[in-house]
Amino acid sequence: MSNPERLRISGGAVYDPANGIDGAVRDVCIEGNRIVAELPRDAPRLDVAGMIVMAGGVDIHSHIAGPSVNQARRLLPEERAVDPVLAPRLEDGTLARTGTGGTVPSTFATGYRYAGLGYTTAMEAAVAPLGARHAHAELDDTPILDAGFFVLLGNDDYLLRQIAAGETARARDYAAWLLGVTRAYAIKIVNPGGVSLWKSGGDTGRRNVTGLDDAVGSSAVTPRKILETLCAAANQLALPHPVHVHCNNLGQPGNYATTLETMKALGGQRAHFTHLQFHSYGGERGKPWQSAARDVIEYVNAHPETSVDVGQVMFGPATTVTADSPVEYLLATSSGGGRKWVNVDIELESGCGIVPYTYKEQAAVAALQWAVGLELFLLSTDPWRVVLSTDHPNGGTFLSYPELIRLLMDRSYRDERLKRVNQKLLAGSALLDGLSREYTLGEIAIVTRAGPARLLGLRNKGHLGPGADADVTIYTSDGDRSKMFATPRYVFKAGTLVVEEGQLRRAPAGRRLAVRPEYDTAVTKDLRRFFDAHATVSFDNYGAEPVA
Amino acid sequence: MTEHVTCLGCGCACDDIAVVVKGGRIAEASNACTLGTAWFGDGVVPAEIRVDGRAATLERAVGKAAELLTSAARPLVYIAGDVSCEVQREAVAIGDHLHAAVDSLAATAASAVLAGQRRGRAAATLGEIRERADLVVFWGVDPGERYPRFVARYATAPSDLGKTRRVVAVDVGASRGPKDAALRVTIAPSDEVDAIGAMRATVAGRDASAARFASAVDLARRMMQARYTAIVADGEPGVRAIDPDRAEALVALGQALNGPARCTLCTLRAGGNRSGADAVLTWQTGYPFAVDFAGGPPRYRPAGGSAEALLADREVDAALVIGAPATIPGPLADGLGRISVAVIGPRASTSAVGSVVAIDTGVAGIHDGGTAFRMDDVPLPLRASLDGPRAALEVVRALRDKIVHGAR
Repeated sequence: MSNPERLRISGGAVYDPANGIDGAVRDVCIEGNRIVAELPRDAPRLDVAGMIVMAGGVDIHSHIAGPSVNQARRLLPEERAVDPVLAPRLEDGTLARTGTGGTVPSTFATGYRYAGLGYTTAMEAAVAPLGARHAHAELDDTPILDAGFFVLLGNDDYLLRQIAAGETARARDYAAWLLGVTRAYAIKIVNPGGVSLWKSGGDTGRRNVTGLDDAVGSSAVTPRKILETLCAAANQLALPHPVHVHCNNLGQPGNYATTLETMKALGGQRAHFTHLQFHSYGGERGKPWQSAARDVIEYVNAHPETSVDVGQVMFGPATTVTADSPVEYLLATSSGGGRKWVNVDIELESGCGIVPYTYKEQAAVAALQWAVGLELFLLSTDPWRVVLSTDHPNGGTFLSYPELIRLLMDRSYRDERLKRVNQKLLAGSALLDGLSREYTLGEIAIVTRAGPARLLGLRNKGHLGPGADADVTIYTSDGDRSKMFATPRYVFKAGTLVVEEGQLRRAPAGRRLAVRPEYDTAVTKDLRRFFDAHATVSFDNYGAEPVA
Repeated sequence: MTEHVTCLGCGCACDDIAVVVKGGRIAEASNACTLGTAWFGDGVVPAEIRVDGRAATLERAVGKAAELLTSAARPLVYIAGDVSCEVQREAVAIGDHLHAAVDSLAATAASAVLAGQRRGRAAATLGEIRERADLVVFWGVDPGERYPRFVARYATAPSDLGKTRRVVAVDVGASRGPKDAALRVTIAPSDEVDAIGAMRATVAGRDASAARFASAVDLARRMMQARYTAIVADGEPGVRAIDPDRAEALVALGQALNGPARCTLCTLRAGGNRSGADAVLTWQTGYPFAVDFAGGPPRYRPAGGSAEALLADREVDAALVIGAPATIPGPLADGLGRISVAVIGPRASTSAVGSVVAIDTGVAGIHDGGTAFRMDDVPLPLRASLDGPRAALEVVRALRDKIVHGAR
């Protein structure tokens, strides 16, 4: 269909939880790139009677652009050879771009496939400051999505020096400066201190932290201190999204204790804890793992300042790609090794580890991980603070979101799937007790758009009230929720009809989401000295600012 | 004076060059090495547009190039050196639209890339070598020759680490490590892969006591005792092509050393922003080089689909070269000489490649801005220090527009 400047989307059941609308039949009016309250009667009309209308999806945590993602793409030619992405002919007669899929799609394919699912906003969750310029270039080649990234800052050489010296204010100024020059959206902390130890070398005994109070180089620097410093900085800078925390001990049995300790360390302050599933295991090393989802989610339920995304594991191929490089070393060498493994130590801040991985229903640990994720979803009492994610492509790709939605909305389907998975480690799982909860469409609208938009501080996203961005997804109602969410009938991005019945129609560029907080510029004098002594990139060339 | 200029003379991409311009010429490029000084030159480049050897307007040249490419049965797009990532992105878009084969200068290091695709790799950005490595092993390479400032910028330790750092040269036949290394290990070229295998066995705790590998095994033990080892090897071919087995053996050794200690394998790569071409092709198509759009979606043909192989097999009948033709490896330039070629890039009009269309552009990093990648995939901004011919990006965008909307 054509794409009028004004459009009344008429007669659909609207799920707009941010505005208290839960399935009521009403019109949604678009003028230009915004939602408006009303349009004249003669405005063009799209009849969507019987269909379901939601805001465009918002992914709060995904790995779609930047140096680490590109390393992962390069590593897996065999999986993309069997997943070619054709270039559809667009409404204006031109061809879209081709690409390849697999677990880590090429950039254009990423934009098209997200839009095909009705997602119109995504956050790349981990970019090393040194790679910021690269990440922006990839996002420039990722159409349709409004996108930003979180800049890594939990193992930063300069930051750790400031913490060691007790220079809290300078640490905050540094964070603000870094956010601005990298054109980032939020602060990401990955395994605070752990990656720094991994990079500093030595034998296996001292290459990671094990808890919040381990020393990182200086005894004054600990994961706790790093978390406290950055969390306070993000809140003092009034960033739209608070610190985005990937806790210590990811993927380790018994790690739920560290997770709870981390949440308590930041108690009373806004903080987001990501891919919580990977941090909610009981048991201990060398003994059987078990679920500790209940302990973790009960804490989250009781603490309104805390938000999380789940990082659900879905059965099938995945690629684990993370700045948490010591964890990837463990994964690469576990079970006899033999897997492809990439490690990149990145100067000044961060690392990169990549291991391709397949989650199998019949594998005990994978089944446990799958169950833990579902428990977190089903035991949560506030969907506004528990966001749907698979930590794409770590727990599975974003293409598995519709299947995940079905698992949440359809108990009988879930119970049937549960019977097929390896039961060995599921003894303590609440899932076995028969969790009867089924997510409603309104709750799905919260965990896939309204909630993440609110947690990201994106006031014009995730809802359909006047003034919102005209990002609208319209589904044909179907009892099979997986089918329904996999192929929206219409997807509008900023008022442009981008997808119609599964076909890409238009592929406009997305907008970049970034912050530029104020700071005391005195920090740059000290930084310049630090760069002269320790960096191999000129201070003036660091980050991602355009240069003359 | 323009400061913090990035040099693309080699893959070191030193970004501390200060360029002084006097009378429309580069008078000085301070901090630049001999290679860099030659790369900057005086910055004076031709600004001609030629069709069939005669001067033409830009519009006519772009039109002619579009006609050549769209009427070809089997076009090739080749990304040569000295263009920015922004230009490379347009080049791949043109290849996609034309259903062309696309390859680039990054293919010179195919062995290392392919080894990385088979096994992964343990790597680091160059600053990590400088700041962390207490043992640096130059494997059959003296960076002084093709990467003159590598040691000074990336392998000279800060004072406290400098006291304990050991530098080892591994001499493999005529491929020798730096002269001033504290320790030398000599390996016969025919023994090289087996010697690396013996080192890996040592790291894995297996017996590798064959006498002829004694010095290699001894080196492996030193690496195991180090805190952080950097193995530096050349990814670019020299007199001989890089042995794929050697490339993979080094990757495997570098990975294995992360058991007892930490280790990074640093693969030296040449200049002209070839690492950028690798990155751009990978993010747009999923594949780093030798990409074929003939069937629509990109296909990876590292064995038979490189530009060199396609030209040798007479599989392509027209080519678009984007970048400086002077950077094209010899055999490939010979192959291009046999077909109709449009060249857009620095000094295109002086190219030995017999081109139908030649459009001179600025040099990325001298006249044109944008982004380039260092050999370790670190992105750097390019700063224009001198006015030059029309920007490569402008010309390539005009060509893309002509090809996509030609009938308009």
